[in-house]
Amino acid sequence: MHERADAHPGLMPVQGMRAGDHAFLSYTDDEANWDALVTYVRTGLARGEKVIVFAAPQLDPDAVRTRLDGTSRLLAEARGRGQLTNSSMRALIRPDRGFTPERQWDRLGEETALAVAQGYQGLRAFIDMHWVADLDADIETMMYRESHAEHLFDGRPYNEVCSYDRRAFDDDVLDAMSDAHPRSLLGALGELRIVHRGQSVTVAGEADHATREPFLTALDDALERSAASRRLLVDLMPLHFLAVRCALDLVERIAGAAGHDGVEVRCAAAQAVLLRRLGSDRVRRLTLTEVVRAW
Amino acid sequence: MVTEGIHLNNDGSRERLLEFDFGREDMPRLRVLVDQYAAWAGLAEPRRGDFVLAADAVATNAVEHGGGHGRLLLHRSAGSPGALECVISDSGPGFASSVIPELAPGLGGSHGGRGLWLTRLITDRLVIEGGTGGADRARGSVVAFSMWLPG
Repeated sequence: MHERADAHPGLMPVQGMRAGDHAFLSYTDDEANWDALVTYVRTGLARGEKVIVFAAPQLDPDAVRTRLDGTSRLLAEARGRGQLTNSSMRALIRPDRGFTPERQWDRLGEETALAVAQGYQGLRAFIDMHWVADLDADIETMMYRESHAEHLFDGRPYNEVCSYDRRAFDDDVLDAMSDAHPRSLLGALGELRIVHRGQSVTVAGEADHATREPFLTALDDALERSAASRRLLVDLMPLHFLAVRCALDLVERIAGAAGHDGVEVRCAAAQAVLLRRLGSDRVRRLTLTEVVRAW
Repeated sequence: MVTEGIHLNNDGSRERLLEFDFGREDMPRLRVLVDQYAAWAGLAEPRRGDFVLAADAVATNAVEHGGGHGRLLLHRSAGSPGALECVISDSGPGFASSVIPELAPGLGGSHGGRGLWLTRLITDRLVIEGGTGGADRARGSVVAFSMWLPG
């Protein structure tokens, strides 16, 4: 993970992608990129979305398909009924040969409308940005596209991951593209990322058995950092998974924070239900704030 | 090792959807797979999220106390209603179902049995085998839970 992406306000794991999300992902490890791609595809299929994969154009399409599908009957079935397809930027913009943002936006809009007309919840696209070199596209044009694509996403049943190979783009381009995307994805499946800001701590990724120790350390650090103000905000909105043990840790740490007047835990509905089941309502200084996303 | 697909063992009444031999590092992938197959079986949110939460809790027990790894089997049973069943086995010393608190556990104290307590609360059926102190201890524990599927 690079510092710029680490500080991104839209940091989240790939499993958290929803309609309307436009996310930046970068990689130097091809395996990590495969993990993100496979997870993005599987979670999209589980949510009833249509999925288009624009893999790196230098890869053999049959090899991509074999690697992605593995022996999964579910993925084979999804491919058979057209819910999962592989494509390329070159194919998407046909009959045009040169890339223009307008042509690509139009085509992605058409594909989104088609997905909805076919009965899917929406469309998701994984785009490996190696297409830029493949189409000999201008970097400035690509950057314009990435930073002016809000109309594809705002209130629409479309989400997209733009995956940048750090070995193929300059750092200043990557920084600018990280900033241009409202979301920035964690680099590895199962990762937990902690961001302390003032009297708040934001927890992104997955809090489970493997990440429990850094999760606990983050809570202790946050309570210590906010001791003077006696108030703390724990933002779990970018946290995709909260294991039972970690949820219990959170409630117990707050219950034991006698020096604090109030700790607000901001989270999605499912996490709020879990915390209540584990006794959060019995902790007077703990306030649960449920945040419902529009999509 | 992961083996997926409804072709695994389809005897007409009980379809095996997934086999997964997992260790500690496999838990994120385990959750993705269980989520996908639960969706395919027809389990909608928020019940699907609870099912994944339960699978993680029981699998974590296997990793922590059952020898560091385990095996997950996911089945869909026909019937009215049908059910999605998750069976997780390990090679640890096993445990008795008495470790699960009967009532909502209070804060503080031991965390023992909390994951299974929650699993019993949020699923429709929980069965624990092995670890009774007899010969079963030698083969570890087997924890099975299920949720009814919408008709």
